[in-house]
Amino acid sequence: MNPTDKPIASPLVVLREEFDDWAVLFNPDTADAVGTNPVGVAVWKLMDGKTRLADIVSKVKNSFEDVPDSVPQEIEAFVNSLSENGFVGLELPGK
Amino acid sequence: MEKPVPAASKVMRVPRSLLLEITARCNLRCRYCYFFNNPAMVYRDLPAEEWLKFFNELGSLGVMKLTLAGGEPFFREDLPALIEGIVRNRMRFSMLSNGGLINDEIAAFMAGTGRCDYVQVSVDGSCAEVHDSCRGKGSFDGAIRGIRTLQRHGIFVAVRLTIHRNNVQDLENTARFLLEDLGLQDFGTNAAGYMGACCANAEDVLLNTEERQEAMAILLRLAAKYPGRILADAGPLADGRMWRRMEEARAQGKPAFYNGGRLTGCGCTSNKLAVRADGVLVPCNMLAHIELGRINQDSLVEVWQNSPALNQIRNRPAISLSDFEFCAGCPYTPYCTGNCPGLAYTLTGQVDHPSPDACFRQFLKEGGTLP
Ligand code: SF4
Ligand code: SF4
Repeated sequence: MNPTDKPIASPLVVLREEFDDWAVLFNPDTADAVGTNPVGVAVWKLMDGKTRLADIVSKVKNSFEDVPDSVPQEIEAFVNSLSENGFVGLELPGK
Repeated sequence: MEKPVPAASKVMRVPRSLLLEITARCNLRCRYCYFFNNPAMVYRDLPAEEWLKFFNELGSLGVMKLTLAGGEPFFREDLPALIEGIVRNRMRFSMLSNGGLINDEIAAFMAGTGRCDYVQVSVDGSCAEVHDSCRGKGSFDGAIRGIRTLQRHGIFVAVRLTIHRNNVQDLENTARFLLEDLGLQDFGTNAAGYMGACCANAEDVLLNTEERQEAMAILLRLAAKYPGRILADAGPLADGRMWRRMEEARAQGKPAFYNGGRLTGCGCTSNKLAVRADGVLVPCNMLAHIELGRINQDSLVEVWQNSPALNQIRNRPAISLSDFEFCAGCPYTPYCTGNCPGLAYTLTGQVDHPSPDACFRQFLKEGGTLP
């Protein structure tokens, strides 16, 4: 996925915020469940198909304190793995 | 003044799954059924609209899985509408069934949703004579027909074998039948327990110490023959495995097990809840007398997070086995979990008590030996 891509969270996938620091993304069609931390939750909520990946990264960086330098790469890796597992799609250009 | 019940620590925001008794009706009357003749039950079905409304609440909260039970869940003629409500609300489902009412039409419908984890069918023997002895004439044929129908439609079948006095001698044949002839990946075992209809038939149904020991020996042998394919959360196989570990730990003077010495035997209320057929929320179908609220009237989140009765069960692990007269002087205390609170309640009248049914010391006192 490129920084200019606009990822969109699958409307089928359920976000379960289980504990303050832990959530689960659940795809009921495949029964796949992915655990995630609050940063992942924030990323998930920003994937509306209108926001570029680069903007998601900077918004998340700004909303958490003491964010390590590696966070942009981690977010990209997280979004890529969700995309590979069918949790996330891409808004098509021109839409 | 009653002691206030402290909130259980670290409870997840909403349960992950619920077991729903969607009907109080059944085509059978098994001699050991926990559901019928159970003073805690109210035998009344809710209309589909009530369940559908509840599914909307569950969906909005992010509940992941529902287990539909009863009675016999396939008894409901509006089952497809209920399943559609589950699917619409982004959940998966499984069913607990006797198999007899499963036909191609409903199996095809369930398979078509792509959301069915499994259907558990009860099979208690390798032939009609054994199976029907507790479940009634024709029930074996119905169960096997149901299993084959599910298999034809690619639905995962999970068989549950309930062990009672009449099927111990058939266990070997049953394992071969289920794993080799029917080609199941595995099957689960438990034992008839002193609950519901079983209480009136206890003499004919419940295993005595000798039969229990025999069932344990046979199952441990079969589990070695079919590695990983015979499962048990309760009953002779689970007891046999646990008691072997406890005996070994005691003999070698090992330190206490991490969950030993306290009432840790049930972790269900950390992520699950149940609903009775009449819509009352309960901690578990084995604790159906503990009424926590009513669906569509009480908020599930409120009940889940703040019910004093639920938190009391969650706090059972704080209760030490050494506090009980029942456990006084027992050398197995550091390794024992006190087991299922449901059976503790039916046998002793107390939920906060170790279950005498799974008490290793009692088994030994009654002349039992470990295979
Ligand atoms: S055990 Fe199951 S099949 Fe038998 S009567 Fe009870 S609910 Fe029906
Ligand atoms: S008496 Fe039974 S229940 Fe109590 S600690 Fe010993 S084995 Fe466990």
